[in-house]
Amino acid sequence: MGAPAGPSPAVPARLLRRFGRRGRWAILLLGGTALLAASAFVGPVAIPPETVAAVLLHEVSGGALAPQPCGPLPLASAVCQSRIEIVWDVRLPALLLAAIAGAALGVSGATLQGVFRNPLADPYLLGLSSGAALGVAALFILKVGVAEANIVLPFLAFAGALGTGAIVLAAARRASRSVETLLLTGVAISNLLSAVMLVLVLSNPIGSLQVTFWLLGGLGGATWARDGIALGGVLVAGGILSLYGRELNLLQLGPEVAQSLGLQAARVRTRLLFLASLATAMAVAFTGVIGFVGLVSPHIVRRLLGGDYRVVLPASAFVGGVFLLVANDLALLALPTSELPVGIVTAFAGAPFFLALLYRRRRAVPDGGMP
Amino acid sequence: MALNPSGTPSPRRHMIPAALVAVAVLIAAGAAIATTAAYFELRPSGPPAPGTVAVTDDLGRTVNVPVDPSRVVVLSPNIVDSMVRLGLRERVVGVDCESAAFGGLTGDYSPAQITSWNLTSALCVQVGPTLSVEDLLNKTPQLVLTSTIVSLSDIEEISSTYGIPVVTLAPATLGGIVVDVELLRTIFPSAPGAELVGELQRSIANASALSSALAANGTAFPTVLLVYYVTPAASPSPGYWTFGPGTFGESLVEAAGGVGIAANSTVAYPELSGAQVLAADPQVLLYGTGFGLDLSTYQGAPDWGNLPAVTAGHDYPIDSTLITEAGPTMLLEGLPQLTALLHPGA
Repeated sequence: MGAPAGPSPAVPARLLRRFGRRGRWAILLLGGTALLAASAFVGPVAIPPETVAAVLLHEVSGGALAPQPCGPLPLASAVCQSRIEIVWDVRLPALLLAAIAGAALGVSGATLQGVFRNPLADPYLLGLSSGAALGVAALFILKVGVAEANIVLPFLAFAGALGTGAIVLAAARRASRSVETLLLTGVAISNLLSAVMLVLVLSNPIGSLQVTFWLLGGLGGATWARDGIALGGVLVAGGILSLYGRELNLLQLGPEVAQSLGLQAARVRTRLLFLASLATAMAVAFTGVIGFVGLVSPHIVRRLLGGDYRVVLPASAFVGGVFLLVANDLALLALPTSELPVGIVTAFAGAPFFLALLYRRRRAVPDGGMP
Repeated sequence: MALNPSGTPSPRRHMIPAALVAVAVLIAAGAAIATTAAYFELRPSGPPAPGTVAVTDDLGRTVNVPVDPSRVVVLSPNIVDSMVRLGLRERVVGVDCESAAFGGLTGDYSPAQITSWNLTSALCVQVGPTLSVEDLLNKTPQLVLTSTIVSLSDIEEISSTYGIPVVTLAPATLGGIVVDVELLRTIFPSAPGAELVGELQRSIANASALSSALAANGTAFPTVLLVYYVTPAASPSPGYWTFGPGTFGESLVEAAGGVGIAANSTVAYPELSGAQVLAADPQVLLYGTGFGLDLSTYQGAPDWGNLPAVTAGHDYPIDSTLITEAGPTMLLEGLPQLTALLHPGA
C-alpha cells in the first residue's frame, strides 16, 4: 500500500536518503546522542565544560577513558563529588527523561492524528494527558507508600489516559468528522477532569501540595530508576505502534475504503488508541502535563519526510525526543539561574503553532470540517 | 486482526497481551531498582552511625544527622532565624530563594532580614516554583534543614540519592518553635546562644500570664482577623487569607489574648470571603505588610471599607515576617507586639 498524499520530502530527507536505512538511523541516533551529551553542559550551576566532559567520560567508561572523575581541574573532594552528582545523577536522568517523554508524546501525537485523521489531534488537546494526570493525582491523594508508588503510578496514569481516550473515541465516532467537535470534546473532557482533580486536591491539603508541585510539570523528578520504568513502557508502546504504519496509511483513505481493503478499522483504531494512551501515560506519570509536543512533532516530520506513517511514527518519536530536549535547553539558557518548567517552553512554541495550523485549516476548509 | 480478511492468524494477535506483560515486567524491574524513588512516605533511618545523632523532626521522621555540621543548607526563613540567633550563621552555606522571575532572594526574605543576616544571592538555592537539586548539591551541604516548602519526594531524593540528611522543621504551634530550637541545639551542641531556649519560654510564659490575668479580671478577649494576604475584590475569587486551627498563626493570636475568627474553620489556611468576614465581625483586624503588601493592597479586598473593625480604626499593620515565619523572632518580637495591639492598656 502506498503512502497517502503528503508534503514532498524536503532537503534533509533527500540528504538522508543517500544513506541506507541503517545508515540513516545511525546518523539520527548519533545526532540524538550528541544532543543529549551537549545538553549535559547546560544547567543552573555553572560547571566548566572540561569537568562535565570528564565526568561523562569517567562514568561512561568506568574510569578507563578519564581516570580523574572531575578532570584536570583541582577540586576538593566534596566539590568533585557534587559535580559528579549534578552531571550524572541530576542532569543526565533529566535529559534522558526529556528524550523518553518527548518520544512518547511524539509517537502518541502521530498516532492520534492518524487515528482521528485530524492534524490537530494531540494527547494534550484531546484530554489524554489530563486523564493520565487525574490518575496520578488519585495516587497522590491515596498516599501510596514508597515501594508501591513507582509501580502504581504508571498504571494509574495509563488507566486515566485510556478511559479518556475511550470517551474521545466514542465522541469522535458520533461526531462524524467535524474537527471542532472533536477538539471541543477534548477540551470539555480536560476541563471536567481538571475539576475532578481540583476536588481531590482540595480534599487533602498535604496531597494537594504534592499535586501542585507535580502539575507544574518538568524534569526535576528524574532519576535513573524512573527513566528505566518510563523507557520500558515507551519502548513497548512505541515499538508496537511503529508496526502499525501501514494500517494508519490505510485509515487515511477513510474507514470505508480501509474496510474494503480488508482493514478492520474499528479494531485497529481501538488498539492504536490503547497504545497511544500507554505512551502518553508513561510521559505524564513522570514529567507531569507537557503540552504540544505531540502536536508539533508529527507536523515537523511530515514536512521533512512526507506523510507515510511507516516513517512518521518512528520519526515523530525521534523528533519529539529532540524537541523536548531542545525545549529544556532553551528553558535553561533563557533563565540560567531558574529552573523554568519545560512545559512553559513547549507551550510558548506549541500554542502559536497550533493557532497557525488552525488558521490555515480554516482558510482551506471554511466550514471547519475535514477536507 | 488487522489486515487479514481471510482469517489467518497474524503474529500481531498476541501483541497487546504481550505488551501488557512486558510493561508489567519492565515496571516491576524498574521499581525493584527504584531505591531512590518516593512520592509520599519517607523511609526511616537505620541506627545512628558514629559522629551522628538521631533526631525526630516535625514530620515525625527519625533522621541521623552529623553532630555539629559545618555546612548547612537552610530552606526556610524561620530556620535561618533560629540559626542566626543560635550563633550559627557562618554554617549556613545556602538559603531558599525564588526563581529570578519571582524576586530571587527577595521573594523569600525581607530587606531587613537580608541585611541583618548578611544574605547574598550566592547563597541561593531555588525552591520556587520547584526545588533546584543542582543548586542544592552545588553548596555541598552536610545537612539540609527545611520546612514544608520542599515536597516529600524531593526530601526523599535528597536524602536517599545523595546521602544528605534532611530535617524538616515546621512547627504548628508557638511551643513547637521552642521544640525546634531545642532540636537544633541537639544537632549543634557547641552552638553559642544557649540562653535562647530560656528566652523563648519566658516570652510564652509572659503572654500566658497576661492572658490569665486578663481572664481573671473578666476582660473579654477580642475577636481577631489576622490576615497575611488578600485576593483583590476584582479577582474571580476574592477574599482574606488567614490562619485556621492547628496553625502557628492561630496559636499566636490565642497566646496574645485574642480569638481568631477562623479558629473553627475546617481548613488550616482558609480564604474567607468578604461576607464571611462581615458576618464574623472581628473586633480587631491585623494585616501583614512587606513583600509588596501594604495598606493599599488590603484596601482592595472585598468589603474592607465596610468592616466595623476598619471603620472603628481597629485595623493595624504588622510586619509579615512576624506572623508568617514560625521562628524565634515571632516569639520574641511578634508575640509582644500582638499582645500590645490586642490589649493596649495591659
